[in-house]
Amino acid sequence: MSTLPRLVPPCSPEAPELRALREEVREFLDDQRAAGAFTPHVDCWISAWDEEFTAALAIRGWLGLTVPEEYGGHGKSFLHRYVVTEELLAAGAPVAAHWVGDRQIAPSLLKYGTEGQRHAFLPGIVRGERFFAIGMSEPDSGSDLASARTRAVRVEDGWRITGTKVWTSGAHRSHALMLLARTSPVDPEHRHAGLSQFIVDLDSPGLTISPIHWMNGEHHFNEVSLDEVFVPDDRVFGEIGNGWKQVTSELGFERSGPERTLSTFPVLAGLADRMGRGELPADPALGRLVARITGARQMSAAVAGQLQRHLPADVAAAVVKVLGTTTEGDIADLADLHCDDTTDPGFRDLVQTAVDHRPGFTIRGGTNEILRGVIARELGLR
Amino acid sequence: MTITTGQVDQDLVTLMNDVFGDYAEHHPTSTDTTLDREFWRRLDDLGLIRLTGPEESGGSGADWHTAAELLSAAVRHAVRVPLAEHDLLACAVLDDAGLPVDDAARTVTVLDEHGTATRVPWASTSDKVVTVFESGGKWLVADVPVGDLDVTPGANPLGEPRDDIAVDVNTLAATEAPDGLIERLRLKSALVRAIQVCAALDKTLELTVQHASVRTQFGRSLSRFQAVQHLIADMAAEAALARTSTEAALTAAVATDWAGANVPFLVATARSCTGHGASVVVRNAHQVHGAIGTTREHQLHHFTRPALTWRAEFGSVQHWDDQVAQAALSARDDLWGLITR
Repeated sequence: MSTLPRLVPPCSPEAPELRALREEVREFLDDQRAAGAFTPHVDCWISAWDEEFTAALAIRGWLGLTVPEEYGGHGKSFLHRYVVTEELLAAGAPVAAHWVGDRQIAPSLLKYGTEGQRHAFLPGIVRGERFFAIGMSEPDSGSDLASARTRAVRVEDGWRITGTKVWTSGAHRSHALMLLARTSPVDPEHRHAGLSQFIVDLDSPGLTISPIHWMNGEHHFNEVSLDEVFVPDDRVFGEIGNGWKQVTSELGFERSGPERTLSTFPVLAGLADRMGRGELPADPALGRLVARITGARQMSAAVAGQLQRHLPADVAAAVVKVLGTTTEGDIADLADLHCDDTTDPGFRDLVQTAVDHRPGFTIRGGTNEILRGVIARELGLR
Repeated sequence: MTITTGQVDQDLVTLMNDVFGDYAEHHPTSTDTTLDREFWRRLDDLGLIRLTGPEESGGSGADWHTAAELLSAAVRHAVRVPLAEHDLLACAVLDDAGLPVDDAARTVTVLDEHGTATRVPWASTSDKVVTVFESGGKWLVADVPVGDLDVTPGANPLGEPRDDIAVDVNTLAATEAPDGLIERLRLKSALVRAIQVCAALDKTLELTVQHASVRTQFGRSLSRFQAVQHLIADMAAEAALARTSTEAALTAAVATDWAGANVPFLVATARSCTGHGASVVVRNAHQVHGAIGTTREHQLHHFTRPALTWRAEFGSVQHWDDQVAQAALSARDDLWGLITR
């Protein structure tokens, strides 16, 4: 037998209950698409913001699926949520408005939030009315979150926060920011100590939001500057000084999700459809990428099962993200290799967007190079 | 690390590892592979030869997940025996066709319209070759003593017998094949090699991790170099993808007795992922091992060469990419439906 740990857990077949939910979501999406409610987007979880669509999902009960009923949620398993998000992403549906709240904020509130915070924020997330942004990265920090320089200083009844956050998706349209700040000075021996999280209203005095435009002109990222922004004690998130643990405990969910394999799925589907109709020459490279996406999603689903069982999955998630995001990008590139001046404009635009977004896939959520280090550590190499 | 859903009896897994480990210790792997009949009998005594056969006909009644463990254990110890060809392919075809199974060592092949087949695994070392062929518009099965066949011995790059055979099918006592037998045999053959490649990739990864940990260069162990860590992390990711896709195909095949509508697609997917995974794993393993890994005396080639050899059997990687692509093209605007079926 091997001396190495198994990096990714085994996958199991989908339960009939989940299958039924999948069919239900698919039918809804077909109807929405037929009604012209959306056209499939590349990277829809970052860039396709549609509050009406989010509201329609909320009415169907597909937001806050894992939130308990006492907070207005639906009390379902993480696997129910997984199936719904997977269907939405494969369809390229506009899900950016509720994405951060549903994926990250709701589970974090349930794990670390106070009762007051849960009642204050969860029902709004479930109804698709309250939107969140994440304030982790900073200028010069990249994947190294521990180097955060934004400082929170203790004042009467709360904290005053000063600093700059970057890459905050959707901050210009959201209500609140989940912010990571330093509450005690950097200790070179314990780089992860002294970090804390705060829930900051985005209309707070002293807070400025400025756009960071993507290279193609799109605006979803922002720079958020805080100048002595006051945050009351009841918006301290979790424990002061425990920010690092709180932030990293959710990385398994963030890195292994279907958004790490399906950002360019509408491009892959479009490519297959066009090759199938003879509009583009059939290319076996398509087979390789369809196989890899199929395998990567089987892995992602296996990790979802692991997370549902409350078992550790950080390394498995790193494997999913490295393989999934590379393949997402390879899809954009293959489609681009097939495009020329005769390609129909609709598909050409979709591919162009995929190509423009591609560099982000292997950067956001921890660069693949950092994640290779995570995998190497698990193998005992560091 | 093996292809399993975790339900395989651990004592049995230990037994498998012990028996191959013990054999490998006394019989260095050579490229001149013949069937060691003494070892074959030992495996038979342990109930490992006819592992998945029904108990009423002398089999052990195990499932494919257990068989995958057995194949993987043999690969990990670089022991070359036709366990899959005998049990999972040849004897399974006899069972499928309602024909009796005796103690003979077997392999299986599909004959072309001239009654010939090329590169049949282990034919020259078998007692009988189960032949499947078309005659008068029907598919037929015959269990043929190897002496009744015209056999031209050959070998793959590992030295495993891959023999050409010819026979006058009109002389064979044949039984009609049940519906779908050919397709099941094709899928099983393909998945057997995927399982073997996965085991070879895992072992290659393991050897590479070990080497990087003990080998010192420029004053520190190889494992301390970030470039080396990244080569190995990519190997691990590719091996994991190969295993996940192979397990998914195996699970779907077992759950539907190979009849599930998605089984052909999942098998093709597994072959594509294992095939391309082998490219990365083998290249990076050699890069990390340096020149020593390229030598006959080093054990690395007992795993890297099989990974590349087996990925080219029962269909090339390109062939399986094509199969996946064709399925995707046929799915038209429902690619997602195909992937999630």
